Amino acid sequence: MSGLPAKYFEDITVGEELEPLERLPTEDLAVDFFGRDNPTNPAFRDAEVGRRQGFGGALVPGLLKLAWITQYVSRWAGANGRVRMVRAAYRRPDIAGRPLTIVGRVVDKRIEDGVGVVDLEVATLANGQPSVHATVQVELPPRERAE
Amino acid sequence: MGSPEQSLITEEHRAAIGRTAGPVELRVRAEDVQRVRAILDDDDPRYGEETGIAPPYILAVIEPAMPWQLLPRILPSGILTQTEWTFRRPLRIGERIFATHRLADIRDRLGGQYGYSVIMNVMTEYRDEAGELVATSLRTSMQFDPAQRRERGSE
Repeated sequence: MSGLPAKYFEDITVGEELEPLERLPTEDLAVDFFGRDNPTNPAFRDAEVGRRQGFGGALVPGLLKLAWITQYVSRWAGANGRVRMVRAAYRRPDIAGRPLTIVGRVVDKRIEDGVGVVDLEVATLANGQPSVHATVQVELPPRERAE
Repeated sequence: MGSPEQSLITEEHRAAIGRTAGPVELRVRAEDVQRVRAILDDDDPRYGEETGIAPPYILAVIEPAMPWQLLPRILPSGILTQTEWTFRRPLRIGERIFATHRLADIRDRLGGQYGYSVIMNVMTEYRDEAGELVATSLRTSMQFDPAQRRERGSE
């Protein structure tokens, strides 16, 4: 596949850290993500509603953060990789306009039924504090199987 | 009023476990894929109209709202606390998917910001037109009483 390097199971090292990725969530981004015609939580697009609900402004949708995490790992896994599971726990709300950093680390790898399986821990950080904690499982082919 | 000293989950609530809703028909629309990829600045060549494959995170956009009708109302407020997606195969642009929801569990939680809360799990299965399972989504929500909020949470 052009444009995205191929990665194989053997290329992965447990403990390896993924390159951090910066994202800036905004109210507009949240609304556009779900589509302007789709009803969503008003706290996603209106800072005043978010403040009335006890937050510091408009909320960043959990599903937007989940999508970013999935994209982050899918891209890291490369052209041969496939995300097969993402589990995210929303630890604390994020407020629109405040940058998020996505970080990740490989915590395990093994062969299951001939398929390479890699487990990663991924988090979104706001001011250095985790707001979403995720576990992501990726399939990567062993080199000999892919060739 | 402090936190309840015994579970607020009744036999009637427990009887709701296993209840289902759906199927709800969904479509993996090219315009949704295009829009969301642009918003996420995703130039991954595996996805897009030319490949016919949707990125896995498209589930965030096509996933139906939480089927609140399946969830007994035990405490006044509720939030989504966890999501788990599994993918059996890539979703294809243009395909029809059928979502069925099932209330999988109800349980108590002691501690945390609200002292006492109720945790509910909803499992959603996504099947294609042939009935093959293509993805699942397990959503965990927490019901709580905002009046019981403590100054310092557990998280």
